[in-house]
Amino acid sequence: MASEKIRKVVEMSGISIDLRVGKGRGRKSWSLSRLGTRFWSWFWFILGALYFLLPLYATLNFSLRMERDVIGFKAYIRAFEDPEFLKTFLYSNVLALLTIVASIILIVPTAYWIRLRLPEARRIVEFITLLPFVVPAIILVFGLIRIYSSPIKIPFTDATLFQPLTTFEVGTDILIVAGYMVLGLPYMYRSVDTGMRTVDVRTLTEAAQSLGASWFTIIVRVILPNIRAALLSGALLTFAIVVGEVTLASFLGVPAFGPYLFLLGQHRAYEPAALSFASFLLTWVAMGLIQLFTGGQGQAAGAH
Amino acid sequence: MSYLSISHVTKQFGDAVVVDNFNLDIEKGEFVSFLGPSGCGKTTTLRMVAGFEIPTSGKILLDGADITDKAPNQRNVGMIFQSYALFPNMTVAQNIGFGLRVRKESEAMIKQRVDEMVSLINLEKHANKYPYQLSGGQQQRVSLARALANRPQVLLLDEPLSALDAKIRVSLRAEIRAIQKSLGITAIFVTHDQEEALSISDRIVVMNVGEMEQVGTPFEIYNFPKTRFVANFVGSLNTADAEVVDPAKGLVSMDGVQFEAAEGTDARKKGDKVKIAVRPERFSFASEQKKANVVDCTIENITFLGAVVRIQVKIGNTKFNMDTFNNPFLELPKIGAKEQVTCSKEAVLVLDE
Repeated sequence: MASEKIRKVVEMSGISIDLRVGKGRGRKSWSLSRLGTRFWSWFWFILGALYFLLPLYATLNFSLRMERDVIGFKAYIRAFEDPEFLKTFLYSNVLALLTIVASIILIVPTAYWIRLRLPEARRIVEFITLLPFVVPAIILVFGLIRIYSSPIKIPFTDATLFQPLTTFEVGTDILIVAGYMVLGLPYMYRSVDTGMRTVDVRTLTEAAQSLGASWFTIIVRVILPNIRAALLSGALLTFAIVVGEVTLASFLGVPAFGPYLFLLGQHRAYEPAALSFASFLLTWVAMGLIQLFTGGQGQAAGAH
Repeated sequence: MSYLSISHVTKQFGDAVVVDNFNLDIEKGEFVSFLGPSGCGKTTTLRMVAGFEIPTSGKILLDGADITDKAPNQRNVGMIFQSYALFPNMTVAQNIGFGLRVRKESEAMIKQRVDEMVSLINLEKHANKYPYQLSGGQQQRVSLARALANRPQVLLLDEPLSALDAKIRVSLRAEIRAIQKSLGITAIFVTHDQEEALSISDRIVVMNVGEMEQVGTPFEIYNFPKTRFVANFVGSLNTADAEVVDPAKGLVSMDGVQFEAAEGTDARKKGDKVKIAVRPERFSFASEQKKANVVDCTIENITFLGAVVRIQVKIGNTKFNMDTFNNPFLELPKIGAKEQVTCSKEAVLVLDE
């Protein structure tokens, strides 16, 4: 009776434990049940993997068949040869890096302060970070254009604070980075917040304070290194969003990779597929690098 | 003037008074424990000394300087936490050297001090390991070394042994005490474990619901508790309702059984309702030499506790525990046997009802 209860609890928790305490029949039915559980686990895993891998395989297969009846890399060669590709890709990469840096500067101290001093504000901030899921990018970009396409004046005076941001290149870059920060907010905030949850932020802060550390030292030397895996995940997601983003880049008229890929897709068939697969590989390389550099050590250490 | 002075300190969170008019003077090199149940205000008091909480009123002076409103990183105070709080991204040596690096000490000085500290805690072989590669006891020793590396004026220990298993706890508390004595550092130790407090401290502050109940040496706290709370909280205690029979002679009556107390009845009058309290180890079976407080009893139960055997006896209608040291030749009475037990009149504490 007791072993039956234990078996149920173990089954519910999804943990595989061999309870070799029962006699013949009980053990046999237990083994069968365990086999059943394993079968279904694998079934769902394979189904899920196929859901992701099949379209990927189709894209790869298509991108390799630019020449009739020949499998080759012609689509890749032609895509990479286009000078616009490198230009737009590098530009989007720079935008992505700027977005990541600006997001970290904004989000890490915010999430840190909420964990440390303002836990009651967490719900409000979480709601704000979810807004980009609800408010479409088109609304965001029109809002940005509407506000920043005319000079910003100091209230109640005629003095101009700054010229319309949409009228010069750096201004537009600032706008688009700000827009990307909003789009990446849910991913970056959640990654950072989850990272902070795995380390005891409050006690580590107090320990550092008692050793004489300032707030800046605590964030740079204690908090950031201990959430680096979370930061890298957030950075990767932000990077993926920025590099492929079309709406903001198109309406703000910047030469980014997203609109380039979109235009290419309208005129060519094989090159966009090749570039999509290449960007997927790039993402996987980045994820591999995250694993390589973090190795789970920084985060896992906090749990001990 | 005392080295650390906590003067009329009160701390309120909203309407709740967590620490109420706390006054304590601590001498240089003294080891003081704050002992009390959860929520008694001991950790809050410690955190006010550390600077993590600012007192609602009152002052904290350290070596004559007012540190009441100083930020934690402006006070030269070392702190050890229950959860070790080692920086997971740093090795043992880097953890210990953190405070020195913050102070921008030279690399040569940092190395020398880290080596000293690592050797002090006997973890020379583990200097390049990360915290997660160490056991709980080792981590807490690193935490101690890290706090001491900065040569703090006061060392604060917030239940540092609570997360460790029993054996490590005992050995580490002895180690902490030995290091504290050898360095002559002033220390405040927060614990809810009376045995820990009794074994390690020069003085103990027993706290209850934000107030100090009693301050004294472990000997005073255990043997001469001033309040019923202290008597109950520190050590085991048999208590029973009683009535003063003769205040001048110290006689009290419990269920018609008379006990003679050395003190505690002078300020009372005949017929006053009181509680009498006797520690289990103060009872023994009556022999001819012992004449005071010899009372009849029935053996109710016997429990073997390792080094001690606990015998439950019934005196009148009240059950009392009596502890006696175990030895292989101990002759124990049978359950239900009629015996006589005794205790000295100094052992009988007369407390308010």
